Amino acid sequence: MGGKVTCTLGEVKNRADFIVYWGGNPAECHPRHFTKYTLMQKSPFLPRGRKDRTMVLVDIRETKSAKASNIFLQVRPGKDFELITLLRAMIKDQPISEAQVAETGLTIEQLQDFVSRMKAAKYGVFFFGMGLSMTRGKHMNSAALLTLAAEMNAFTKFVAMPMRGHGNVTGADVIMRWQTGYPFGISFNRGYPRYNPGEFSTVDVLVRGDTDCAFIIGADPGATMPQPAIDHLAKVPTIVLDPHVTHTSKLARVHITTAPAGISAPGTAYRMDEIPLPLRPALKSPYPSDEEVVRRIKEALLEKPDWMGERPQMLQNQI
Amino acid sequence: MDLKVIDHATCTFCGCVCDDIQLHADDERIHQAKKACVLGKAWFLNHTAERKYPDALIDGKEATVDEAIAAAAEHLYQADMPLVYGMSNTTCEAQRECVEMADHLGGLLDSHTSL
Ligand code: SF4
Repeated sequence: MGGKVTCTLGEVKNRADFIVYWGGNPAECHPRHFTKYTLMQKSPFLPRGRKDRTMVLVDIRETKSAKASNIFLQVRPGKDFELITLLRAMIKDQPISEAQVAETGLTIEQLQDFVSRMKAAKYGVFFFGMGLSMTRGKHMNSAALLTLAAEMNAFTKFVAMPMRGHGNVTGADVIMRWQTGYPFGISFNRGYPRYNPGEFSTVDVLVRGDTDCAFIIGADPGATMPQPAIDHLAKVPTIVLDPHVTHTSKLARVHITTAPAGISAPGTAYRMDEIPLPLRPALKSPYPSDEEVVRRIKEALLEKPDWMGERPQMLQNQI
Repeated sequence: MDLKVIDHATCTFCGCVCDDIQLHADDERIHQAKKACVLGKAWFLNHTAERKYPDALIDGKEATVDEAIAAAAEHLYQADMPLVYGMSNTTCEAQRECVEMADHLGGLLDSHTSL
């Protein structure tokens, strides 16, 4: 997501006095987010910690996170985009209609209060979760919220950050961006990277049956993907690298057990604000690391005659 | 029993990637994960250094890592449109290798983000 207005969690911790969680449940999914980064910390700019901060939760359900918030806005399911669009109009004093407000499940007073609080904030931040980015509208919702954050900068400092899920998904984005210029959904079949989510994204590829061999690492699509995608994984030769024998391993042709990253394999992982952190493994594993196994598979491939013929490797910057 | 203490260990269970965890471990397992939340604690304490699974499986039968690597390379090599997918629960170093492999294969490359 190029061009987003964002910051690091360190800045949030020190400066953010207005914190909005949109479509996420940090109390249960990111348990230390409040205490470590957003709500509880004191700083020279916010000496009273929690008391100096306002937290708003926007979600379709009253989750555990609602208890931690000052204001809970219950948006009607699937109406996030409409709500964000209304807010974008309201901050610029554009006319809006009652029917439009009613559609979101909120009242005009709630929206007006929210807008005035946003504008009065010294440093505002939107954290958005899967409830926003994985429901009706998908990435258009995220784009709308990022735009709202950008537009709020006409009035005060405002940023937005996705609440990334488990493991090192942020790292995958960053590494692919660094190496190919694109964050995911990439095809190299013309010899150079092309980006087209919907065409090259895995669920679509599998459901259409557009791949004839799948290499799965650090993920378990056999447990999470729709059934037609799983069926295709079972049909083609699938290779799995994982610390456990997973659902996917059971339908795979090849499974290799690897050392779990951060527990017994060293390396680097990215935090959700794209800060790389070193891992400090505590145990020694009887299994090789992912890195070692992938490198060895790649080396085995390099020994075979290149079916693409003479060609330079596109990405020269493997350092 | 000697416990070694690892300060500033990093938890990668969720996107917070807390890097202030104190781990108490012996050779087999981690006994304590101080400062980690419930999810992080469970994650650290559930993994052990024991050999719980076979090194590798080919068509459901136990195999050595060398054999599995050769088999994996052959499957990928024979494919017209191989897919490299996942990369969530792994290190950036492994992700970099994956990108290079997908590039060499002329295949598809994708992560969890696209779901
Ligand atoms: S300790 Fe808890 S909040 Fe921190 S990274 Fe681990 S799971 Fe997430």
